[in-house]
Amino acid sequence: MTTASSRKAIRGTGVGLRLPHLVEVAAARPPAAWFEIHPENFLANPHATELLEQIAVHYSISVHTVGVSIGSAGGIDRAHLARVHALIERIDPVLVSGHLAWSTHKGTYLNDLLPLPYTEETLDLLARHLVEIQDTLGRPYLVENPSSYVGLDASTMDEPAFLSELVARTGCRLLCDVSNIYLSGYNMGFDPYAFIDRLPADAVGELHLGGFTPEAESEAGAEVLIDTHAGRIAEDVWPLYAHAVRRFGALPTLIEWDNDIPPLATILIEAARADLVAAQVLSAEGRHAAAG
Amino acid sequence: MPLLAETQARLARAMLSGDASAAVPLLSGGERSAGRLAIHLRHYEASLMAALAAKFPACAWLLGERFFAETTRRFVHRQPPTKPCMAEYGAEFPRFLAQQPASAAMPYLRGFAVLEWHLGQVSIAIDHPPLALSALRPFAGEALYGLTLRLQPGIAHLRSRWPIDELMRLYLSANAPDSYLMNEHQVCLEVRGARGVFTMDRLDPATFAFRSAIAAGRAIGAAAEAALEADAAFDPGGALARLYAERLVVAVNRGA
Repeated sequence: MTTASSRKAIRGTGVGLRLPHLVEVAAARPPAAWFEIHPENFLANPHATELLEQIAVHYSISVHTVGVSIGSAGGIDRAHLARVHALIERIDPVLVSGHLAWSTHKGTYLNDLLPLPYTEETLDLLARHLVEIQDTLGRPYLVENPSSYVGLDASTMDEPAFLSELVARTGCRLLCDVSNIYLSGYNMGFDPYAFIDRLPADAVGELHLGGFTPEAESEAGAEVLIDTHAGRIAEDVWPLYAHAVRRFGALPTLIEWDNDIPPLATILIEAARADLVAAQVLSAEGRHAAAG
Repeated sequence: MPLLAETQARLARAMLSGDASAAVPLLSGGERSAGRLAIHLRHYEASLMAALAAKFPACAWLLGERFFAETTRRFVHRQPPTKPCMAEYGAEFPRFLAQQPASAAMPYLRGFAVLEWHLGQVSIAIDHPPLALSALRPFAGEALYGLTLRLQPGIAHLRSRWPIDELMRLYLSANAPDSYLMNEHQVCLEVRGARGVFTMDRLDPATFAFRSAIAAGRAIGAAAEAALEADAAFDPGGALARLYAERLVVAVNRGA
């Protein structure tokens, strides 16, 4: 089914390539390990696509789609998938990924990543859709765990069990968004460390880190964390990221910053911090292994 | 428990209506679940309103932030996106804007919003390699009239009964006056752009008829007839040569 990208595997921490930085990146070639794009920002923007093609000559690119709607009961958005495929053919990305979510209903795009009930019915649907997506794209498609605010009563299993079963049925790979796990654990009341421990480690191929924003809830003193990607990585997330690196090893990691976008240098500093945390973990693991 | 399709139908209705109540029974988490679902509802509304605000800043300037925000809020619920690319969302907004009762006092509003939409679209276009006039050499005489031309993608033509381009230039200038009197008179505009820049130019009615017909895919002969109807002294040959001189023609096709 799949043909891998002709590019080498990516290493280290990349950053999300957003429209305000395109001209700068194309012209100045900053020291980023790699870039991730949302194809939805480029498919209807020829100028942005032209710049992206220039950038892709010098950097490895990961394509992270927010519009395929893998979880839609009415079917994936095939027209959109075809457009994503055409872009992929042009820039030959190293990784292609999307979300465990749905966003399209009867031809209407809801511009959000909406929650799925974790049931056998949903598993069957996603397994079929994953096969179709990977066959269309000719590449593996990594599935990312969502940021959660609310659960669906119909669920018969929790998210790690659902993702593990999805991997078992389809052989798909996972994109582990560490910040999403922290945020969802806070919002939904589960242990994010235990969540990471329950994911099938061999299937995880990429990590994500992104900023979130606390928001007061109506209950006195209660807060909910909103996945805004509008700031630095929260301090409490870094130990969880270290835990993920210990469990999954050295994987490409992405810093997501999509709103209130700062100068690129600020995002690169976050990427450098992630590299440092990963290096410390892996160095300690190495010493531990050597001592053992 | 409802099937996945029914669950998604109820959640989609909640998103589009802004009313979460019918979807709350689907949720786990007790009393706070309605508030949590409202996070998704707010994101839908706010993200699309922000996308429209980014596309129509001149309309927001003209209408005032409050009226503009109220109108975009109504629009995102009445006409949600059908595609995930936000660059494609908003083409219908000018028509919706003009249908609002409060817009009746501004008959130029729809044209102004259409102009702003086109400025945004041509700004993200790229130029293709232009053809030289010599590309027409194989098509002598009558054969020329049946040809169609494909123009650069970053071009649009619009006609308005109001000088909407003057209003747009006021918005784009750093020193717009507090008030400005709009006097009705027709303008024929050509908007061109690529790679982040754009221009707005007025055309005489005959040239507008010729160029807009060519851009719409009509044959050279039909475009010339349209222009001659507007002005019997129109020079089709010269107009055709100017299209090439301005590097606007990127392909020549034999007519149907």
